[in-house]
Amino acid sequence: MAQSGKGKLNYRCPSCFMRDLDIDMFYDKEKGEYYCLRCQFTGTEEEVLAGNEMVRTKYKAMRKRFTKFDFD
Amino acid sequence: MSEFILNVIHRPEMVPEYSATVTGHGKEEDIGNKKLLTESLDIFKTQQRLAHENGLKTTIQMTYASLFNEEAIQLAKDDHETYGDEIALSLLGLPCEQFREKYKTKDFCIWMFSMEDKKRIVDDVFGKFYEIFGFYPESTGSYYLDADLISYIKTAYPSVKCAVATCWEEGPKAYHTCNNSWYTLFDGGPWAPWIPSKQNTHAPAANREEDSGIVAIPHLSRDLLACYDGNGSNFGTHPQNVLRGMIYDSKTWEYPYLYNLIDQYRAQEKYNNGYAYNMMFVGPGWMNKMGRWEAPYELLEKSYSDGCKYYGQLKREGKLIDMTMSEFADYYRQKKSYTEPECALWRDILYGSDKQLFWYTDPYMRVGVNMDQGGAIVDLRPYAAKLRWEVGIGTKHVQDASYPFLIQEKYRAGYFTHYAGEGTVRSAKLCYQGEEVDLCLCRTKAHFSREGNTRVLTLDPVTIEFSDLTVQLQTKEFFEEGSGSVKIERTILSMSDPAAEVELNEYMVACYGTTEYPEDMTGILLTCEGETKKSIVYEYKCREESLADASVVSAVVPPIETKVSMTQTGGGTGYVREGYAFSPMFTLGFKKKVTDKEVYATWLNLERAN
Repeated sequence: MAQSGKGKLNYRCPSCFMRDLDIDMFYDKEKGEYYCLRCQFTGTEEEVLAGNEMVRTKYKAMRKRFTKFDFD
Repeated sequence: MSEFILNVIHRPEMVPEYSATVTGHGKEEDIGNKKLLTESLDIFKTQQRLAHENGLKTTIQMTYASLFNEEAIQLAKDDHETYGDEIALSLLGLPCEQFREKYKTKDFCIWMFSMEDKKRIVDDVFGKFYEIFGFYPESTGSYYLDADLISYIKTAYPSVKCAVATCWEEGPKAYHTCNNSWYTLFDGGPWAPWIPSKQNTHAPAANREEDSGIVAIPHLSRDLLACYDGNGSNFGTHPQNVLRGMIYDSKTWEYPYLYNLIDQYRAQEKYNNGYAYNMMFVGPGWMNKMGRWEAPYELLEKSYSDGCKYYGQLKREGKLIDMTMSEFADYYRQKKSYTEPECALWRDILYGSDKQLFWYTDPYMRVGVNMDQGGAIVDLRPYAAKLRWEVGIGTKHVQDASYPFLIQEKYRAGYFTHYAGEGTVRSAKLCYQGEEVDLCLCRTKAHFSREGNTRVLTLDPVTIEFSDLTVQLQTKEFFEEGSGSVKIERTILSMSDPAAEVELNEYMVACYGTTEYPEDMTGILLTCEGETKKSIVYEYKCREESLADASVVSAVVPPIETKVSMTQTGGGTGYVREGYAFSPMFTLGFKKKVTDKEVYATWLNLERAN
């Protein structure tokens, strides 16, 4: 089995990101999957991108433009 | 008139941070790689172009490496001539072949070197700068500059009047986010420009004698709520940090959060005599042609372009003044006095809650107040001690430059703890017929006002419901300039039974530290004083002392040379409580019976212990 490398982009592990960890993932070309060195996450690019969307669910106001910053 | 000041800073970093892990993955290290140097310079040129296209002047912080590059030098000279950009000198960006050869180390953070090496490097870098430009810089900086380093720079190069000197709440949280491999540990400083004291960079100078001689600016303007509870490097006026946090729509590539963040900073002028500040400082590594994590170069470039566009738009609308760092130092010296505090009333603009915090900094303390916990103090840094805290190789703190806390709700719990023990917080409890309610559970909102030299937070009244009594209570918090004290006043607005008597327990649970892990509490001196005096020397024995109508309850914390005390308007019983091994805290407090319409106030006071 050949060594793993980086993918076309440098994806982070979505599971680790959810616990505030930025961990680069590596790509296993034989299995066609990204995997995390720190946790047990493995996934295709599609699954990684879906995970990234889950990350964003905590940002409920991410798409909102605020015009008032006090409660006066 | 309100003024929103912007500093845009660029650095031609010839070997950008992250290059080894991004561009260089799978290759042997080669910091003299010509392709890398060319690309780095291209990114710098792009950043300069985007700022200038939007009518913004910049401060060019030359790096040591760039002083060996003719093209970088000429670009700086040309942009100074054409756009009025300031040519300054950064102590970031040290790595290059020349540096490695001379200093035989891979260290690159100036504050971590030994004092001897700091001086050598500063002399080398400043000397090289002089050789090339024929003058010494007026501005410098790094992610952090320790007090001894600032003092040396100011003495040897008195032209320096402005420096990037800390990055707000970049500490253990950033370390953890980077898989415990990024050693920038400097929590506990100001979030907005300040004049550092000679004793400790994070603690502002109280007077001319303490003045380090420079105006410090923070590295970036960071989200005062999101950064306190998460990775600071996701939530700042650094467009690529916002991408790092994935705070953008992956389909449209829009990021309203960046503009909300800038606008919330603009709104702070209401609390700071009509002045607000922003700083944008993006290293070239963040606009890597290979992309950065899941963001392709096109998105990285777009976000920086959009950031410049928004600042440029504000400038055109007369809502922003762009300055170089040295211009800002002159402005700040004119605008602010030593004791004038920096205040921020900050709301959540990201997670969809209405959570609100208040931050206050002056030469005696930094205080964080959480309105989601009834106005409890959830972070407290005793700047009054002006703690001398040497940093770097050869000192007790090689990496840890944080100013210690007495209260930190994330590192030492807050109201909520698991199973046993207590967490650090300054709050109050109401007790009635065996029931107890902590104001930490009463969510509210604050309104800011000013009475002479006192900043006042008036909280919306809260209702406390016991099984057969309802109490309406209002909290006001007073921050008197130069006093080193916070007065907290509770008013019983109404009771469902006007004849009822409720016990109000004003308390502060505290400890000390700079990280999540406990420190040795042995030897902390707890005292109740009034007509008599009762003391406990901390030995983890879970003891308590109290004194009716005490005038003061206090703790002297020798490792951080701090005395913290509480005083009262009168009538309450003061108490001090020692913790135990599973709860390494101490508690100070006053218990007072209160009735309908009664007003009771306590003060939290900070001073240097000696």
